[in-house]
Amino acid sequence: MSFFKTFINSPVGPKTTHFWGPVANWGFVAAAMADIEKPPEMLSGNMTGVMCVYSALCMRFAWMIRPRNYLLLVCHASNETVQLYQLSRWARGQGYLQLKEDKTSST
Amino acid sequence: MATSKLQALWNHPAGPKTIHFWAPTFKWGISIANIADFAKPPEKLSYPQQFAVTATGVIWSRYSMVITPKNWNLLSVNIAMAGTGLYQLSRKIRHDYFNEEEAATLKE
Repeated sequence: MSFFKTFINSPVGPKTTHFWGPVANWGFVAAAMADIEKPPEMLSGNMTGVMCVYSALCMRFAWMIRPRNYLLLVCHASNETVQLYQLSRWARGQGYLQLKEDKTSST
Repeated sequence: MATSKLQALWNHPAGPKTIHFWAPTFKWGISIANIADFAKPPEKLSYPQQFAVTATGVIWSRYSMVITPKNWNLLSVNIAMAGTGLYQLSRKIRHDYFNEEEAATLKE
């Protein structure tokens, strides 16, 4: 019970913006999970690539700010993982990740 | 005079040598990627992704004004995200729900 109280009143808790900002960013992870089965032609290479760089930067940001924001860090670590996976699916769909032998045999 | 001002900016604790500068600055990439995707046909847009972009933009716009100090750079980038997200959503909704009526009337 007291753990709950400490959480509610914490300087990075649900009464503060330090909590709800990261919560909003979990939307990106949820959206990527919803799209995980989508055919690669429907994925946006632009958006997925930007997300990969963006989440890497935000992981560093979450670590360096004071107070250190572990919620934001975990959120962007998850997003980085899922966006890299989606990026690999998109790249494979575009033909970027084929081995040289495959490419020469197809031409 | 100008050089010392530039130096002050360069060495600022939230300046271009730090992540405090680059993380918000790179957030513009999300809106730019979305603008690049304005050219995509609406069938290829993703409802979950555009909704996430819009919701993030709206929530962070509010919070960039609530923190100390107010972060106008963060506000502007999130307004742009919300704007592009809303536009993409409207394109897809218009295509999915309003073109159907036209297609249905054409079939009849």
